[in-house]
Amino acid sequence: MSTTRRDFMVGMSAGALILLTGAPRALANSMTIKGVRYGMIHDETACIGCTACMDACREVNQVPAGVARLQILRSGPVGEYPAQEYRFFRKSCQHCDNVPCVHVCPTGASHIRAEDGIVDINPDLCVGCRYCLAACPYQVRFINPVTRVADKCDFCRKTNLAVGKQPACVEACPTKALVFGNLDDPNSPIAKRLVQETTYRYKQFLGTSPKMYRVPKGEVKS
Amino acid sequence: MWHDAFHFDSLVWDGPIAIYLFLLGISAGSATLSVLLRRQGAGSESGIIKATALLAPVSVILGLLILIFHLARPWTFWKLMFHYQFDSVMSMGVMLFQVYMAVLFAWLAVVFRAEIEALRRRLLVDKFAFVDGLIGWLARFERLLAPLLLLLAVLLGAYTGFLLSALKTYPMLNNPILPALFLVSGISSGVASTILLAVTLFREDGHSRGVSFVHRFERPIVAIELFLLLCFFTGLYFGGGQREAAMWAAIGGGFWSQVFWFGVIGLGILLPQLLGLVGSPAKAHQPARLVLICSLSLVGILLLRYFILYAGQMTVM
Repeated sequence: MSTTRRDFMVGMSAGALILLTGAPRALANSMTIKGVRYGMIHDETACIGCTACMDACREVNQVPAGVARLQILRSGPVGEYPAQEYRFFRKSCQHCDNVPCVHVCPTGASHIRAEDGIVDINPDLCVGCRYCLAACPYQVRFINPVTRVADKCDFCRKTNLAVGKQPACVEACPTKALVFGNLDDPNSPIAKRLVQETTYRYKQFLGTSPKMYRVPKGEVKS
Repeated sequence: MWHDAFHFDSLVWDGPIAIYLFLLGISAGSATLSVLLRRQGAGSESGIIKATALLAPVSVILGLLILIFHLARPWTFWKLMFHYQFDSVMSMGVMLFQVYMAVLFAWLAVVFRAEIEALRRRLLVDKFAFVDGLIGWLARFERLLAPLLLLLAVLLGAYTGFLLSALKTYPMLNNPILPALFLVSGISSGVASTILLAVTLFREDGHSRGVSFVHRFERPIVAIELFLLLCFFTGLYFGGGQREAAMWAAIGGGFWSQVFWFGVIGLGILLPQLLGLVGSPAKAHQPARLVLICSLSLVGILLLRYFILYAGQMTVM
């Protein structure tokens, strides 16, 4: 095998780059206390847009009218009649590993939980400055009109998850388009699906490392 | 058209924040200029420094009050001062505000020590006499206070830009030029506001050393501001994708594009420069003329804050 000086330099630089930037970040992301890092798959090929998940989320988490933790956005139809189809996109917290909303929060109210990777809000510390609302590239945060603090999906941490159930949206889905589980457990259903299927993560080019995976239907536009 | 320009889905921060950014610019700009003017030997007799003594503290305090009452929970604002986050621009800003205000008051006390002492004697006779001693002690450190205030004022001016450029949601705001642009335009607002107050409230002569000194900054600052605006928008254009889309949405047509071209560029930059060119040089420093030019500049600078804030939030990455 012959190696030109150019190849050698490229290889060395790539190695140095991984050493300096890539590896430590990846290591930090999987550093969880009990090896739990919750994530979700939204199978856009299975979703029928019935919005049962939206209703279940609102009911279980007592989300006031006028705001929403979870929305299913419909686009289309695409294709020629009769082969027309709609596309459905889940708009909710992505539970990023590299979290823009947490980085900007001036009090530490927005935080990522070390024990399970859920991006959460401490309502006691939140002053309502809306910096996190602006910083979230997915635009999923809102000021809760009742509590006056920033609010968003927490994977039902305080409700369903606390009593050992799956998140409300997952339980409500009639087509099993939502899969929830521990990404760091290779034997969990979600981890097994992720190694087999083609998925994408929204706006991943921003370096946010979301834990919301999507099974695409048609072209992925982000 | 008006309603849609001020209400859209991706808008998070609205009007009061633009006024807050404007007020901080005035405070940072006037403090910066006065520290430099003081180095030229000017003191409390200068109308420019008197204007700064009023403008710098009042605008920063007013700005902070606006900010606090803009919070969803205003009465929890004190939590900002007890839970610092080192990677949050806003949290570092809270820290900067406190140091800046402390140093600003200390520096002003030293510059106006004779006036403060005379005022105290007249109102309180011999009570609180220790204040004179305290200011006298502070005066020994003026050579340290002045450059420190200069640094903090420049940081404050840039902070308003960093606050917005930290938002990767919005390609137009997530722009490395923004802190420099806001700093320079803040100094520009310092020039306009100090001259405006000096020639009106403090009846300073338009040819005085202070006004001439501050006035010398005007044209270079405007030139740098125009260049930074060019960098700002070409950066977005060359970035392609959503960055380019953000540029066209902002200055390629629509309400905010008109605010930019007619308000920021026309009213705030070109018209004052034209007014400066026409007429005899002898009349150039007439108070009425200075008031008109400075008011136009200030309106343009306020409109720039509104334009950046609103147009910046129109396009999402």
